[in-house]
Amino acid sequence: MNQVNSKVCVVGDFAVGKTSTVERFVNNHFSDKYLTTIGVKVDTAEVDLTQDLKLKLILWDIAGTTEFKHVEMAYLRGMSGYILVADGTRLTTISAARELKTQIEATHGELPFVFLLNKSDLQHAWEVSDRQREKLVNEFSSELFVTSAKTGDHVAGAIARLAELIAERELFGPQ
Amino acid sequence: MNLPDEISSYLKSVFEESRNPLCFLIDRDFALLDWWGFSEAYGYKNLQSGASILDHAPFLFGMLGSKTEVLPFVTTPTGGTVEVHILPHKRRFFVILLSATRDHDTHQQRQQTANELKLLHATQRQLITRQRTLIGELVEAKAELDHRRREAERSNANKNQFIAMMTHEFRTPLSSIINYADLALEADTSEADGRKSSEAIARASRHLLNLVETVLHEARLEAGHLKLRERSFNVQELLDDLSTILAPLAAEKGIAYATYLEDNVPAVLYADDVCLRQILINLLGNAIKFTETGGVSMEVAWSDSQLLIAVNDSGPGIDLADQERIFGAYQRAERADALSQPGSGLGLTITIELTRLMQGHFDLDSEPGRGCKASLRVPAKPSSMPSEDDVVLPAPAVELDAEGTATILLCDDDEDLIDLAEYYLQRAGYGLLVARDGEEAVEKALQYSPDLILMDINTPRLSGADAARQLREAGFSAPVVALTASDVRKLDQRDFTVSLRKPIQMPRLLAEIRRHLR
Ligand SMILES: Nc1nc2c(ncn2[C@@H]2O[C@H](COP(=O)(O)OP(=O)(O)OP(=O)(O)O)[C@@H](O)[C@H]2O)c(=O)[nH]1
Ligand SMILES: [Mg+2]
Repeated sequence: MNQVNSKVCVVGDFAVGKTSTVERFVNNHFSDKYLTTIGVKVDTAEVDLTQDLKLKLILWDIAGTTEFKHVEMAYLRGMSGYILVADGTRLTTISAARELKTQIEATHGELPFVFLLNKSDLQHAWEVSDRQREKLVNEFSSELFVTSAKTGDHVAGAIARLAELIAERELFGPQ
Repeated sequence: MNLPDEISSYLKSVFEESRNPLCFLIDRDFALLDWWGFSEAYGYKNLQSGASILDHAPFLFGMLGSKTEVLPFVTTPTGGTVEVHILPHKRRFFVILLSATRDHDTHQQRQQTANELKLLHATQRQLITRQRTLIGELVEAKAELDHRRREAERSNANKNQFIAMMTHEFRTPLSSIINYADLALEADTSEADGRKSSEAIARASRHLLNLVETVLHEARLEAGHLKLRERSFNVQELLDDLSTILAPLAAEKGIAYATYLEDNVPAVLYADDVCLRQILINLLGNAIKFTETGGVSMEVAWSDSQLLIAVNDSGPGIDLADQERIFGAYQRAERADALSQPGSGLGLTITIELTRLMQGHFDLDSEPGRGCKASLRVPAKPSSMPSEDDVVLPAPAVELDAEGTATILLCDDDEDLIDLAEYYLQRAGYGLLVARDGEEAVEKALQYSPDLILMDINTPRLSGADAARQLREAGFSAPVVALTASDVRKLDQRDFTVSLRKPIQMPRLLAEIRRHLR
């Protein structure tokens, strides 16, 4: 079986659930306790693309930020795609994700990505209105996923979608 | 200064102890060529020359370039937190790992506190926003409810008053029509009497028609669906109709009522006469209502394809503030007031609405104490033939016989009803006394002791109900029959022998009189 390595950065504002999402995907585990990430946490996971092709994701869970400084820019080096994470219970984290995406596109050009609107289990504290959600759907279309690291909802689906996008691009080149 | 060897090696040992340096030499394809240092500190047990370093250090993937890279805190599941330096060297790479766990933990604690504080603020902000929204929604909901309740109450009150007024207003002309029709159909009616009856019927019918139009207008205006219905009409006839309705009201108050039609006004005009009639009834009705001495006059002129109408009165005048209010928002509360006054028309605000609808212009010129001049300008087209609208009433069945010798006092302010009663009662052989208001009725009853009183309830000065009570208190014991157009249940049964609801059928009245005189 063939295996392709691929670096993926997980970016977004602090406490949106980046570490939790990776933890859910890699170890199928979740903790309510918040332990902020310093620098970067690197983990790996494998995604089967076809019967004889595997994508080995090297996941870079980067400390939460609203803007990449010089050091964080170094973390992004060589990535094939990225995961934007925002927190549905805090509207400001959506604009932070947009900012980061703009910054990435300015330095790395267009790369495969998915947008995760996380914490969908917290409906009582949900701040994203139907109208805003519709706007996000228009903006990110099939790259938008409303996820919960806590319940696991749509986490694997979102990362599988990103793996597909990366594979398409790595194997057939950018369109 | 050159460091002595022992100092150098001391420094080296301190650094090595705290940072556990490990150095790999790798090629472009991540093959491990050689290594040096504290590999166990990072959990690297069986490093092998030629094997891929990525299994041990996946973070190197994608990071090899032409420049030195320093990654301060890289945490892996097995290796703890390291500081990574990547140094390109002759198409190969030296990778230095330094333990950063201690630094990481200090950083982590500081950042943790800061982030938790920020989260707390965010939560607080959300709570405040949500509270504000909830309070806002609450206030809005309450205001909406209050508004709906007030609207409902108001529209209910309006309807009740409107119905009360209309019931009252309809009964008077209806009773005239029925009775005069009875009279006209009698076999021995003279030609002169028949003609008099027909005239009275025509008059009452026109009044009734006007009332119906008023109601329809009001209903359509209310629904916001009022549309102009233009047709040809005779101007003089319109003015005559208005006089029929309004002159008696002026006469009742002892004030003058006059209409002036200028010669150049076309005899037949094409416009919405129903609308115009409604406007003029309102204006004249109001003028009469508020004028106590002097009089009310209407001047009708023609200029530039426009009908110019001025309604003047010598009433108390309207001060500027009230004029403002009248021309201001269409206020329902005031309309309710206007409606509660029987026959007063439906208020100036409706007049303004209707004038607007006719694309006309309405203006008030008034000062307190100096009367009021209401000017109306509406576009119209001269026309030749008026449209015919006939009022057809079914003829009532008549059956009549009468006898008696008693004296009856009739108290009513409706001249038509008095005429009718005179005719029927005298023909039946009764003596008739007439009083036109409650006070007169009390006086005459006490002076002449009639055998029976027919008492209209809605009489000027003193109401029929109060007059009856005064008479009973003065010891008057003969039957008192109430004639009422409105609700009979409110009358005191001790004062009245019986109540008859208007419109009154003369045969029924005679039968009642006979029954109570026995
Ligand atoms: N209810 C709920 N809580 C979540 C979810 N995802 C994360 N959390 C919680 O949110 C907090 C932050 O989660 P992390 O995964 O540490 O967030 P992060 O984006 O890695 O934060 P930084 O490392 O500080 O940038 C933790 O207390 C998690 O338990 C979720 O889907 N639902
Ligand atoms: Mg984290």
